[in-house]
Amino acid sequence: MHHNEPLNDRNVSEQSPYFYVDIEAYPTTNWDKFKQVVKRTFNGELFVGLWVVMREMIKFDIHTVQYPKEKLPIGPRYRAVHKLLRLWESGYERCIGCGLCEKICISDCIRMETKIDENSRKEVTEYSINLGRCIFCGYCAEVCPELAIVHGQRYENGSEQRAHFVIKDDMLTPLDWLTSGQQEEFPGFGAITPNESVTKTPLAY
Amino acid sequence: MFEAIAFYLFAALTIGMFTITVMTSQALYALTAMAAGMIFISAFFFILGADFLGAIQIIVYTGAVMALYAFGMMFFDTTRSVIEKRNNPRFVVVLGALAAVLIVLIVLAPIVTTNLNSQHPIDLNVGNTQAIGMVLFTKYLVPFELAAVMLLVAMIAGIVLAGKKMDKSLTLMADEEIALMQASSHDRTEEEGEH
Amino acid sequence: MDMAFIIETIVKIVVILLVFSALAGLGTYFERKVLAFMQRRLGPMHVGPFGLLQVAADGVKLFTKEDIIPQNVVKPIFKIAPVITAATAFMAAAAIPFWPEFSVFGYKVHPIVADVNIGILYVLGVMAIGLYGPLLGGMASANKFSLISAARSAAVFISYEVISGLSLLAPLMMVGSLSLIDINNYQAGGIGNWIVWSQPVAFILFWIAAFAETGRTPFHLIANDHEIIDGFGTEYSGMRWGLFFIGEYANMFFISFVIAIIFLGGFGDGSIAGAFQLLLKVSFFFFFFLWTRAAWPDVRPDQLMWLCWKVLMPLAVVNVVITGLVMMF
Repeated sequence: MHHNEPLNDRNVSEQSPYFYVDIEAYPTTNWDKFKQVVKRTFNGELFVGLWVVMREMIKFDIHTVQYPKEKLPIGPRYRAVHKLLRLWESGYERCIGCGLCEKICISDCIRMETKIDENSRKEVTEYSINLGRCIFCGYCAEVCPELAIVHGQRYENGSEQRAHFVIKDDMLTPLDWLTSGQQEEFPGFGAITPNESVTKTPLAY
Repeated sequence: MFEAIAFYLFAALTIGMFTITVMTSQALYALTAMAAGMIFISAFFFILGADFLGAIQIIVYTGAVMALYAFGMMFFDTTRSVIEKRNNPRFVVVLGALAAVLIVLIVLAPIVTTNLNSQHPIDLNVGNTQAIGMVLFTKYLVPFELAAVMLLVAMIAGIVLAGKKMDKSLTLMADEEIALMQASSHDRTEEEGEH
Repeated sequence: MDMAFIIETIVKIVVILLVFSALAGLGTYFERKVLAFMQRRLGPMHVGPFGLLQVAADGVKLFTKEDIIPQNVVKPIFKIAPVITAATAFMAAAAIPFWPEFSVFGYKVHPIVADVNIGILYVLGVMAIGLYGPLLGGMASANKFSLISAARSAAVFISYEVISGLSLLAPLMMVGSLSLIDINNYQAGGIGNWIVWSQPVAFILFWIAAFAETGRTPFHLIANDHEIIDGFGTEYSGMRWGLFFIGEYANMFFISFVIAIIFLGGFGDGSIAGAFQLLLKVSFFFFFFLWTRAAWPDVRPDQLMWLCWKVLMPLAVVNVVITGLVMMF
């Protein structure tokens, strides 16, 4: 007798790698139960389990990643703590203070303050992300017209204070990193390839 | 001297424990104190050199009987005190004390003047366990067998009483079957009520 | 009673307490390591070399943790229950010979605290009292999971005491003594004299009962994490919980000693080689406790009772009857 499955529609077809495991009917009479126990006791199922774990212990094929010492590589598009990028040619901040990321943020955790600086350019004086609220959805990076805010690879955000992650200076690429070419760019629409063709945008037309 | 100290110590402890068992209104205190008292009683057997009886006292009374009491106590909330109705506490205390004194007198009065001698002194050549075995299977064979038969009867009766409807499993039955079974048992209790 | 005897006994008690408390701690280390290796993990690695000082870190944690007594518990019983578990575990060690007798500076030492002539009965009896730790702890906790655990522990302990008692009856009939030293000396002739060859059924039954009485994995129902949280330990914190833990591991060691002495020849003829053989046997049984934990699933409570009363107990009784018949004719 085939055990009656309560969930029938599991999309199991001929092609799929999934198949029904044949579940034996539960023993109902005492004699059947006794036979099952005797069968399971003496056909060595228990020893198969013992052998398997002993084999693994002897093989000593350890799969542990000793995390703080070893780290697994993460995907280039992994969405961890944000970064603010700089312009390759000039070293200025890319952020133009348009406020789109602030608007689109669904958890309302981005906040920026801007002013007009002495060159009549819009300058971002404060830029903060409340990582306690951020859900790392990536909308801010998606909407940014200047590729100024992107998601970084820094996923270890354990600290004494959450404020440590949201200071603008921590997110912004340091200038010496930029000159030594450590600022990473992601390939894709609108992205730039840093080479000689990237030149300074003339301010005066 | 050690034996005297041990005797009075364990006597005081035993009486104290059983006093708690009787006096407390908290079921768990009573259970724990009674189990402890049973263990302290075994100390007397050890002092008298009856090691086997002492160990059996621990295993049977503390290990099994008291654990079965604990089973019974699972059915009510043991973390709360039992509220007892006492109409005349002084009356109960006086009667209880009187009964205790009477029992002591009845047991001790005939032998208070005689010098006690043990009738079956410990034979150092025969071990404690063997000695009990020999007495049990010669002098007290009939009571021993009777007790065994009674226990067997009690065991079979217990199995029969508890084994009703054991072959039915509510998880394997359909809802209608369960309803039918409940209805039939309901009818039966009503019929019994009428007769 | 002379002074030397009293001093010797006290020294022995202190040594056994210290050694087995430390072993209980190390036992947790071995358990973690063995389980980890069997599951392709590394286990504790960071505290000390190869994580060896993890035991000390755990100790510091348990000792410094706040001792929480929840509001609705029965306080005295709640406080005393872990002590019962640990104390009975160590009391059972009093009648176990851990090592053949040896002499230090011409003074003969018997490495057994009390050589009573009912040793094995005493060990079983005191382990039976160990039931009161989980039972009282669970009933006093004012927690439904603890109560379920208390009910289970009472059922399991009472049922499997029957198995351990009945299965031991047959070897004891052959030896004719309840003293563990006599049982050991009965098998002193070497590997051919071991009781396991003449009483294999009793050996297997007692081994199974040992799993139930220490509450180890195939029968780990008393504190089954995935059903009833930590069972009787749910409401406990800090060192009170640690006492339950020490009791469990000490019990594992002592029951390993008992199995090795009764069925596998113990320390044999009393030579140093025999003593080390005893340690090897004990370590095997302790390792087997960990091994099964990695390999086997838990059984259900009703299956456990079914196994006890309908399979193991009849087997044990038949074994006793057959042994009796063979000894008579």
